[in-house]
Amino acid sequence: MPVAAPLAPPIEPPWVAKAQVQAGGRGKAGGIRMVSGTADLAQAAQEIGSLTIAGFPVRDIRVEAAILNARELYFGLVLDPARAEVIVMASQAGGIDVETEADRMATCNAALDASALHAALDAIAGAFPADLAPVVRAAGTILIEAFLDLDATMIEINPLFVLPDGSWIAGDVRLDLDINALPRQPALAQLIADRAGTYADAAFKQAHGYDLVVTDPAGHIGLVATGAGLSMQLLDEMTRRGLSPYNFCDIRSGMMRGDPARLIENLTALKEAQNLRCVLVNIFAGITELGEFAALLLRARDAVPDLDVPFIVRLVGNGQDRAHEILLAAGHPGLTLERDMDRALDLCAEACDA
Amino acid sequence: MLERLIDPDAPAITVMVQGATGRAASRNIGRMRAHGTHIVAGVSPRGAGDSIEGIPLFATATEAAAATGAEASLLMVPPLSVLPAATEALEAGVKLIVTVTEGIPVHDTVRLHAVVRTHGATWIGASSPGLAVPGRCKLGFLPDACLLPGPLAIWSKSGTLSYETGLRLVARGLGQSAWIGVGGDPVKGTRFADLVAPFRHHAPTRGVVIVGEIGGTEEEELAEVLATAPMGKPIYAILAGAAAPEGRMMGHAGAIVSGGRGGFSSKAAALEAAGVHVFRAIAPMVDRIANDMKEHRP
Repeated sequence: MPVAAPLAPPIEPPWVAKAQVQAGGRGKAGGIRMVSGTADLAQAAQEIGSLTIAGFPVRDIRVEAAILNARELYFGLVLDPARAEVIVMASQAGGIDVETEADRMATCNAALDASALHAALDAIAGAFPADLAPVVRAAGTILIEAFLDLDATMIEINPLFVLPDGSWIAGDVRLDLDINALPRQPALAQLIADRAGTYADAAFKQAHGYDLVVTDPAGHIGLVATGAGLSMQLLDEMTRRGLSPYNFCDIRSGMMRGDPARLIENLTALKEAQNLRCVLVNIFAGITELGEFAALLLRARDAVPDLDVPFIVRLVGNGQDRAHEILLAAGHPGLTLERDMDRALDLCAEACDA
Repeated sequence: MLERLIDPDAPAITVMVQGATGRAASRNIGRMRAHGTHIVAGVSPRGAGDSIEGIPLFATATEAAAATGAEASLLMVPPLSVLPAATEALEAGVKLIVTVTEGIPVHDTVRLHAVVRTHGATWIGASSPGLAVPGRCKLGFLPDACLLPGPLAIWSKSGTLSYETGLRLVARGLGQSAWIGVGGDPVKGTRFADLVAPFRHHAPTRGVVIVGEIGGTEEEELAEVLATAPMGKPIYAILAGAAAPEGRMMGHAGAIVSGGRGGFSSKAAALEAAGVHVFRAIAPMVDRIANDMKEHRP
């Protein structure tokens, strides 16, 4: 992914160039570089811009003033799903060492409310040396407010730079947000919409109301499926057979309500797959009427005629017989019907070999 | 409350449905009653005073509980309404809530978890397809085609994968003693590990089928409990998401492997070490269960 050469910032070097990706471990992956001047910056930008970190290609690089001669702390809040609480964490060994020096992390569990979080912050700050405790309190107060206001599941400052004069700077902030809270977080929803390339999965879900995740851009089998667990299982069983699926999909067939738009979008998205050999449609319907689904599938297939690969269609559950009648009556040459999951996967294998 | 729900000899639990005039509820109230569910009240601000399929409708859960003494509530309300609606039901004295809504903000599920604890109640969900004791009751929308009285307890994070598994077992004549959809959200009211105790001495259950998936630590927590306090009956598990790439959310809010945690391998290893038969594909699991249950048949 080519990244435009960054403009030199209007501040004196040295600078730090940082890959902007939604993954931790950027430093270890070479995504953060100290830069001494303009020529060095161009070189660093080119190298960082060619990286893929934890599966995310680097699209943006941030350049900022290097912070020198500072102590590096860590402060974070993270949800503990098993206990349904928040863990408040701070360490004197921040920066890139935070994981290797995990035993220096002070933690305190708290209920999800401001007073409990502040009590936990007090307990943690109290264990810091007198010169650092005010920094932990100040940064922690801001992060608690942000955690609550933004419906965060995780927020951390690392490194939390403490300068010789006692002032502090948030070196980096990581915010994990809750996609389910976006309806009451309009600013965050807008941020995702504005940066749809960076937050592709979340932006797709926001825009379309269902999940489609490209798991292997070079994959051979496009998936139209409903249900997250079953879709994951299909990917697993394909992979175990040596097949290569292109995407995960939970189309939520129960929400289509007589409109083929979602199916048309799904099939259109599969056109992006350069190596597509076939499409597997796998719908297990508890409540959705499959006859209605079959009719929508035919309309969607006709609406995306250039997706010219065989379709293996498995429709099981409520109205399955009527669905087969509809699909057979249509006499579409590219559609093969199969109710058994293992045989449907065999048919995918044959289509990939053809 | 869960013990009573799955006890074949206990009296039926009385249930209110919150959001009773919505699309999900109106499609499913009849199906739930056909399974024997004792629905005594519906809650719907716009339908108050009216009735649906002979069930009286009330404006609030407080009024519904006062008038009918409903002991449980099934919530079929939009995501942002779950926390206030469930809180109202719990404050009105309901001791079991089942929430089928997908997409509840996680801060709301954390807060609801605290309210449930304060009231000493049981919560199944969030993001659950519901639960069923076939032939006795059903709360939610587990598909009827998959439900059959039988010897297997199904505990599931995923709706669709459990339907697929349940249907294939039913095709082999193997139905359920109970089916609990714990849901695919990271924060939930009842986790796999919480089900071990109520099912250990549940006579109708001769085997347990776990339908798990990547993300979180629920399977590992279950393994930890089983390692110290075995069930005394065979446990089978299918875990989805082995092929999922790290750092990507796979549909369910909880289904994400991040920072090397929540992956398939650690879950499979923990469960296997605790004596659970872990499968990577559905067909061999169904074959194995069918074979084992035949041998165990009295």
